[in-house]
Amino acid sequence: MAPTASAFDHVKDMHDSSLKPRLLQSLIRDHLPDDNLPSRSSLDLSNLVYLLKTHSLLSESVPDPTDHKLIAPWRSAVDSWLDRLFLLLSSDMPDKCWGGICLLGVTCQECSSDRFLASYSVWYQKLLSPLQSPSTSQFMKVASCASMSDLFTRLGGFPIVKKDGTAHAGKLIPSVLKLLDDDHSEVVWEEVLRLLCIFISFFPVSVSRHYDSVEDAIASKILSGKCSFNMLKKLAHCLAVLPKSKGDEESWSLMIQKVLLSINRHLNDVFQGFEEETKRREGIRLLVLPEKDPPSPLGGNTLTGEASEEARKRSHSSLVSSVSALIICCSTMLTSSYPVQVPAPVHSLLALIERVMDVDGSLSHSLRLFMTAMQQEFVCSELPRLHSYSLDLLTAIFKGVRSQILPHDAHIVRLLSVYLKRCVLPELRVKVYSITRILLISTGVGVAVSLAQEVVNSTSVDLNPIVMESSASVKPSEALLQTPQSSNRKRKHGTLTSLEMHNSSNLEVGTTKNHTRCSMAVQVAALEALEALLTVDGVFKSEGWRSNVDLLLINIATNSLKGGLAGENASIYQPNEPTDVCSDIQLAALRALLASFLSSSRVRPLYLAQGVDLFRRGKLESGTKLAEFCAHALLVLEVLIHPRALPLADFSNSTSNDERAHHDYQGNFYSGNLKHGTSYSTNIHGTADIAPDLYRDELYSSWIETSKKVEAPGNNLGKTMQTGEPSKIPAVQGNQILSADASLGKENVARREQEIVAANIEDVEIRENGDETFELHEQIFGRAMENDPSYPADTNISVAENSKGFGIGMIIDSDTDSIPDIVDIGPDSDSE
Amino acid sequence: MEVVVASSSVESDIACWDFNTGAELLRYKSCASPNHGLVSVGDRFLASSQLRHTSDGGSVKYWAWSKPQPDAKSSQDEPIKPLAANREGTYVVGGGVSGTIYLWEVTSGRLLRKWDAHYRAVSCLRFSDDGTILFSGSEDGEIRAWNLVTIFDDHQSQHEKYGHLLSFTEHSLSVTDMVLGFGYDPVIVSASEDRTCKIWSFSRGTLLRNIVFPTIIDAIAMDPGENLLFAGGRDGNIYVAALNTAKTASSKYGLHIINCFSNHSKAVTCLAWGLSGNYLISGSEDGMVRVWDAKTANIIRVLKHSKGPVNNILVIRQQVSHTIPNSQASSRRHGSSLPPPLEKRAYEADKDAGFKAVIGLQGTCNKSTDAVYITSDVMECQIRELQQQGSASAEMEIERLKHENKRCQQMIQQWKKMYDNLHQFCVNELVDGDKGGAPNGNAP
Repeated sequence: MAPTASAFDHVKDMHDSSLKPRLLQSLIRDHLPDDNLPSRSSLDLSNLVYLLKTHSLLSESVPDPTDHKLIAPWRSAVDSWLDRLFLLLSSDMPDKCWGGICLLGVTCQECSSDRFLASYSVWYQKLLSPLQSPSTSQFMKVASCASMSDLFTRLGGFPIVKKDGTAHAGKLIPSVLKLLDDDHSEVVWEEVLRLLCIFISFFPVSVSRHYDSVEDAIASKILSGKCSFNMLKKLAHCLAVLPKSKGDEESWSLMIQKVLLSINRHLNDVFQGFEEETKRREGIRLLVLPEKDPPSPLGGNTLTGEASEEARKRSHSSLVSSVSALIICCSTMLTSSYPVQVPAPVHSLLALIERVMDVDGSLSHSLRLFMTAMQQEFVCSELPRLHSYSLDLLTAIFKGVRSQILPHDAHIVRLLSVYLKRCVLPELRVKVYSITRILLISTGVGVAVSLAQEVVNSTSVDLNPIVMESSASVKPSEALLQTPQSSNRKRKHGTLTSLEMHNSSNLEVGTTKNHTRCSMAVQVAALEALEALLTVDGVFKSEGWRSNVDLLLINIATNSLKGGLAGENASIYQPNEPTDVCSDIQLAALRALLASFLSSSRVRPLYLAQGVDLFRRGKLESGTKLAEFCAHALLVLEVLIHPRALPLADFSNSTSNDERAHHDYQGNFYSGNLKHGTSYSTNIHGTADIAPDLYRDELYSSWIETSKKVEAPGNNLGKTMQTGEPSKIPAVQGNQILSADASLGKENVARREQEIVAANIEDVEIRENGDETFELHEQIFGRAMENDPSYPADTNISVAENSKGFGIGMIIDSDTDSIPDIVDIGPDSDSE
Repeated sequence: MEVVVASSSVESDIACWDFNTGAELLRYKSCASPNHGLVSVGDRFLASSQLRHTSDGGSVKYWAWSKPQPDAKSSQDEPIKPLAANREGTYVVGGGVSGTIYLWEVTSGRLLRKWDAHYRAVSCLRFSDDGTILFSGSEDGEIRAWNLVTIFDDHQSQHEKYGHLLSFTEHSLSVTDMVLGFGYDPVIVSASEDRTCKIWSFSRGTLLRNIVFPTIIDAIAMDPGENLLFAGGRDGNIYVAALNTAKTASSKYGLHIINCFSNHSKAVTCLAWGLSGNYLISGSEDGMVRVWDAKTANIIRVLKHSKGPVNNILVIRQQVSHTIPNSQASSRRHGSSLPPPLEKRAYEADKDAGFKAVIGLQGTCNKSTDAVYITSDVMECQIRELQQQGSASAEMEIERLKHENKRCQQMIQQWKKMYDNLHQFCVNELVDGDKGGAPNGNAP
């Protein structure tokens, strides 16, 4: 090796293809474990794989495939790499053999397609032997399962070898199932399940032949109660995707029916004495049609009567684990894709969820004698887990059936309202809030009207810790209505014990966990739920709760930002540092605040000024999510503050007539009231940019302002006013002079009236009958001057109201001014 | 592919055109749809109620995209006039001539609900954006909003359940068309035979604006920015009214009406807004479909439907996969791609079978093609495991075993002692006393 000639044969750079075969050779030489030498450290192996992958040393792909000078050495290098791997695989030393298996798996992933297709069956045989021999160590079994998975994953990418792959997979399945039965190591099971899932998704036919035995193997594992919960989750996932191997409607339906039946039967054992007898029947009645035979029990093909009886007697704890795993299985079935449409048994699923959520660990009086305290203790201890997974199932139903949840919405709303009242544990509360959010967003107004009050009530309890401190008798709404200042003062010494209010419920007494942290998570969830509520239903029939919620939100947002903005510098040792939660709550509060601003439709949001200030402060925290969100919020609020009903056509390159119409239109919103417009530009954007004569004659200068707007199309801010050249727009100036002359005292009214002209299609008209333009304007101004209060009620625009209500130069009261709306109600009805 | 679909009130074909090229696509046979009777169900297939009905009953036909013949035909108790489907195409509602509204589940064809909504025939139906509110307009001039969530609520009393959420009653004659604005608090624009268009606020439940036209308006469309309202009149003109502006000058056409354009010789019967770009599509009684550039009011394209009047236009984004079934599974499904016809009898809510919600309707069968390779990760895991032998955990284990060992040794000592005692005792018994039946047989 290492001929001297090549010692100075330098490559161009690290991207040179000729580097790769050489690198590979030297890796084989220096890093690969040798059959003779004692084995190196296993760390070396991981470094080796890293190099292989980063340089794609096995890919054999060169820019020019005809370049033999490059291809030939590379091919021979890969050949010798494979030879060495085979040598390792046949080694007696287990660690070397293990290394060979792992590297072969990596090779399956990394090598060129041609090479893979040419030699995969050889590799398959090589990997098969450690799986089939009973003496192999678990370590090797895991490795060969993983490598086998990669081999089949790669194989699945080539449609031409589908048949061959199916045959290979089919041969492997019995031995794989044997591993699942015999072995007692969860590490092996995990890899076996992964392999099975790959078969199901890439070679479904191979699995469908062994469908029943696979189902039995997995089901018996789930029901055996001998697995860790982590393992159970994986088993459940595998069971859920199993019907994909057949890919028809019946097998999916049968599977979910079996799973649901099994859940219900187990629950009968767990919940004995905790629920009405009718309920347990109901759960099963929904599943099995009276005229049909019930399907064989899950995994029932192998479990004999005795075995299942034995399972029945098992400890309750493992029963609950199995039930949870089966519920996860249902969720996965609902959310993962399936080749054909399948009917989801929404009714039975909901019945199951309701059944679980109804049980709160309380005993009915008649049953009290038959139940020991220990049994009750056990059920109470396991209930949170069951509740949590049933809530997950509910989420999965939303995801699965989407808009078809509509007929069940009322049912779910009732379920959630009741549960929101009862639920105490922070973890569950967070989940309920998140489900509420999903429900609100995915359905809409129809649901929101019925759920709104409940959400508002419980969120205000969660977000208003003071209430509990002062006295339990104080209604949440009273505390909400405190002014920001006073509530801030109180809040300082408030330990967030909002949840204690619910302690009357007997589900759970005394969560002694870190109280602050938990309730902060609950608060974040509550804020998110409020945000969703405001998004969906901030306007419709929301009068009853809007003002309270708005006040609550501005208080929380102000408060959360009070202690300084929490950076996102969570220490690496304590990833769940409270600062993290702090920034979460800030973000959630600001998001909800923005939603509350945006969903106000009748009057300008009361706390807009404070809110904008908060967003500005938040934006300064550069590099955080908070700053990103605040920037977004400011952008959105800009549209709220300067509503731009953008016209249909882009007038920038059309005639000046059109331009005038267009820009007057824009300008009107901007300076709906003179004084207002001025103060706006001075307050927010500073006075520097604005022409000094603005102050000399307000009326006149506001006209100038409007005309200057023309030069900066699409930009309403005063800043760009001076940039345009007036010469471009003679028509506009002419028009202004005209109007100023015509009705000097009423320009602002006139200007407002010009808005009419704005309607974009009008330019069409102007083009069609250009001679009418002038006449039209005369009409406008004429009408402006005769602007009498008895004008028909359908002249309904808010700007028009302003002109009437406040007159010229009057300052608009920012609290009562209605924001410019698309179409507003008539002047006589705005006094609501 | 953006497709324009048009149907007529006299028995003829449903015509389809590619919007971009103007090329005519497949024609779907034998349809005579009433106004607002043609609907695209989730863009998966077309459905239309039928004007020609046998005896007193009405009927609803389905057409799959791939087949010109109607696939499923259902007969109903009474003639159904307008149809509407929610965005996802999972529910279809129909309005009967008696004022009853029917609500079917598409996947099963079941008639889930029907209720008496109006005093006279229902003339148009619209779903809200989120699909939970249904708006219905009637020939008695009333517009009502229904919350479908309460309509499905079995726990409500009959009266509450079928009570309407809102009602707008200011039209004096039949409502001819209705469009909804954008968002959770949309404006509702309605046209009526009383020559007015009225704009209503959903959240306030009040009239916002009334626009009086010189003629009866049969069709309206709103531009997506909700600046302009296009109203197709019986006099063949399309009027443009301003929605967004203040008090408008009375043009020669009337208050708020800022323009009018026309190339229709006969009445304008339907209007639609294009999906891409600013195009207005109008159908006329003269059997033509015209595409207008809404900015310039120029006709861009004229599509000829038939001699008979056009009365429904839809603009649909058709999935390519509808025409070219790509996978084996979908082609197998394609044969019976249409759900069963809509049932006539009210579905008795026996909960045994429940509603038939379907998973996978939206065809999210995108195979996870990005294969995940695991060997290297598993290997890393195992290497870590290898290294951990002899680390802190092992130390602890050794400590534990040591303790265990000690405890076991003590135990052994104890047992040994007990054994010795017992042995001593037995020996004493044997030596001293008679042959007592000593029970300890295991003593040597």
